[in-house]
Amino acid sequence: MRQVKSITGQDLREMFSAATGWLEKNASDIDALNVFPVPDGDTGANMLLTMRSSIEESYRAPDRSASAVAQAIAKGALMGARGNSGVILSQIWRGLAQGLAEKESFTGSDLADALLQASKTAYNGLSNPVEGTILTVVREAASAAQAQATSGDDDLLSVMETIVRAASESVANTPTLLPVLREAGVVDAGGQGLYTILEGALHYLKGEAEQLQFRKPWIISSSIPLTARTPQMMAADEVPYGYCTEFLLKGEGLDPDKFKIKLKKKGQSLIVVGDESTVRVHIHTLDPGNVLRYATSLGTMHQVSVRNMDEQHQGFLEMQKERAPAVDIATIAVVSGDGLSNVFKSLGATAVVPGGQTMNPSTKDLLQAIESVASDKVIILPNNKNIVLTAEQVQSLTTKTVKVVPTKTIPQGVTALLAFDYDADFDTNVQIMGDAKSAVKSIEITRAVRSTRLGELVIKKRQAIGLLDGDLVAVGNNAFDVLNQVLAKVDLDQAEIITIYYGVDTEPAEAEQVSVSIREQHPQLQIDVVQGGQPHYNYIISIE
Amino acid sequence: MTVKIVTDSVSDVTPQVAKELGITLIPLNVRFGEEIYRDGIDLTSDQFYNKLTHSKTLPTTAVPPLSTFIEVYDKLAEETNEILVITVSHKLSGIYEAALQAIELMKRKCRVEVVDSILGCMAEGLIVIAAAKAVKAGAKLDEVVDITRNNIPRVDIRFAFDTLDYLKKGGRIGRAEAFLGSILKVSPILTLKEGEAYPVARERSRAKVIEDLHNFATSYSHIEAMAIEDATTPDDAEILAERLGAKFPKERIYRSKVSPVVGTHVGPHVLAISVLGEK
Repeated sequence: MRQVKSITGQDLREMFSAATGWLEKNASDIDALNVFPVPDGDTGANMLLTMRSSIEESYRAPDRSASAVAQAIAKGALMGARGNSGVILSQIWRGLAQGLAEKESFTGSDLADALLQASKTAYNGLSNPVEGTILTVVREAASAAQAQATSGDDDLLSVMETIVRAASESVANTPTLLPVLREAGVVDAGGQGLYTILEGALHYLKGEAEQLQFRKPWIISSSIPLTARTPQMMAADEVPYGYCTEFLLKGEGLDPDKFKIKLKKKGQSLIVVGDESTVRVHIHTLDPGNVLRYATSLGTMHQVSVRNMDEQHQGFLEMQKERAPAVDIATIAVVSGDGLSNVFKSLGATAVVPGGQTMNPSTKDLLQAIESVASDKVIILPNNKNIVLTAEQVQSLTTKTVKVVPTKTIPQGVTALLAFDYDADFDTNVQIMGDAKSAVKSIEITRAVRSTRLGELVIKKRQAIGLLDGDLVAVGNNAFDVLNQVLAKVDLDQAEIITIYYGVDTEPAEAEQVSVSIREQHPQLQIDVVQGGQPHYNYIISIE
Repeated sequence: MTVKIVTDSVSDVTPQVAKELGITLIPLNVRFGEEIYRDGIDLTSDQFYNKLTHSKTLPTTAVPPLSTFIEVYDKLAEETNEILVITVSHKLSGIYEAALQAIELMKRKCRVEVVDSILGCMAEGLIVIAAAKAVKAGAKLDEVVDITRNNIPRVDIRFAFDTLDYLKKGGRIGRAEAFLGSILKVSPILTLKEGEAYPVARERSRAKVIEDLHNFATSYSHIEAMAIEDATTPDDAEILAERLGAKFPKERIYRSKVSPVVGTHVGPHVLAISVLGEK
């Protein structure tokens, strides 16, 4: 096993250089992830420019000690920081330099300590730290490094491996923490950027610089299912973003904290970092003049940049359109029960409208859902015969193109959604999904709401009843018996898969038992038991 | 002097076919922890999938060192003055870049053309085989390059997966990301589009998967060449080949194994079919 005990300033500089090279290969992919705080698509570029400024400064460092090089990296980052992510990155390097102060070289545990400092400094720079961003990534990486070092492992390479692994997991987790990422179907851009930098550094320590030539960093996949990266952000968003205003202020006796308080009300995403002689400011404001006027009164201004973010956002949308899947079709499913909602979402439904038996959604509910999705073409899966008509009425109420695939049961809806073809156009998909739904048999087990008589079946109120493809075919005193009666009417020898969605009032153990009893009689079947959480129906079963 | 055809091990061209048609295979590297294997040379498919299923560390893959390309070029240049290199999609691997760079560094003088197939597996393999056959029929380099470029859009592939976890971990998920995270157990079917993974369909049983792959092939009006490959499920590959026998002579279907370097990213239960022809 390769080991790297510790490295000096010279190595630190080269490591940063390798990390910057690695980031460069990934910068445009990172731009495309950028949705927070403002989807302007420049995170990758900003982080890269900040890193380049760090590298330049590091070569000016006269001293070869790790401490001096780290100071130079931090100074370069502060001087050259661009954008939100760049300024936060500069804070991270500043904390790192503080952590490495007076060290000629540093080991794994030194790095762990310095990264902890880096994480603290990064949080301190922001008046309103948000989780699910680069901040979370640096914090979780630092804490994993601490754990590793505390366990007695002082090897720099092995601590760095831990850091990179933790950063990767942390990035994958960002959509769980930050809803805007989840909605856009991306991981955090700044977090991904930091991960890429750390990974580049690790490659350097491993001595893999040469192999990297033909490789490229990958964007980490989310740890939770995200819907297809449809152009969500393209929905008309009327809120103006204003101007991204950045500058470096030089003077004497500057007070970053006081500055922060003064500027806090003047805009969003405020970051103020630096010391008494140099302060870097980043703010999204509707009135950059006001901010600049205030700053001019305190010192001299450098690297002043004012960018119209609405324009940047437009550019970003264009970029997203290029990267979005070829078909832009939204699917809306009417479903009740948390488990079933998750099933539909995990299969790519764009939106889920709550509803089902005895709680049909209104035309307005469906219309709202249609208007809320980004696509102009919408397919509705009503999943209940009483909702098909409502869904069809909505078509005339919107300017969007809406088609209903008249699914009458949940299994039909699932089968139709599974058949969605990413390569096909709208009309073809409506056709394919409509055809697919008839390939499945649906069994529903529920309770009679009133006493009635249907053909030969005499039904008492509250008795268990079984429906096969929507027709009442069995009645009995408990759900399990009724289910067996219905199953007896289906030719299971022709079937391959049975999926059992059990309802909110049904015990998981009972559902398991159902599965076991079917398997005993039909060992060739694949049987999945899924928590559906639907009301009224003890079981919804699909037979394919 | 005849053109020499070079390709990478991602093409899944079997050593027998390579030998018959005079194709040189450049192996990619597969790495389990500290151990590095050359694809298909130090590690057979069977050994690899056994390791993949049982090893705790997941393998990674890498482009071989530039020196490998340079050596291959220089060696072939002893016998020819025209080399055609056909590589896997540059969006999936750095092979294409490396193959280009090595030209500058080779010692002997020889014309080398590199074509990015924007494909992989036997879809790339069918392109390579067609190029080698053109050479056998007497085509010169420019002609073979034309044939190859014309063939690329005529090839299509379908991969059936039982999980996309490997593809996700290896960072090659591309737009097939849309198929991740399903709560129901589904078998995704993907293709390669513009050089990366692209979602096609999801099926709920292996029988339906085979049906889908079968329908994909039978939708062609003319089939020039066909290949079926598996990793650890030769029975499924056999069923598919058998069923397609009515459409295309079974003995003409190229059969191959998904190479370890691809296996790293697709997992042990992949089944793929590639067709060169007209839809």
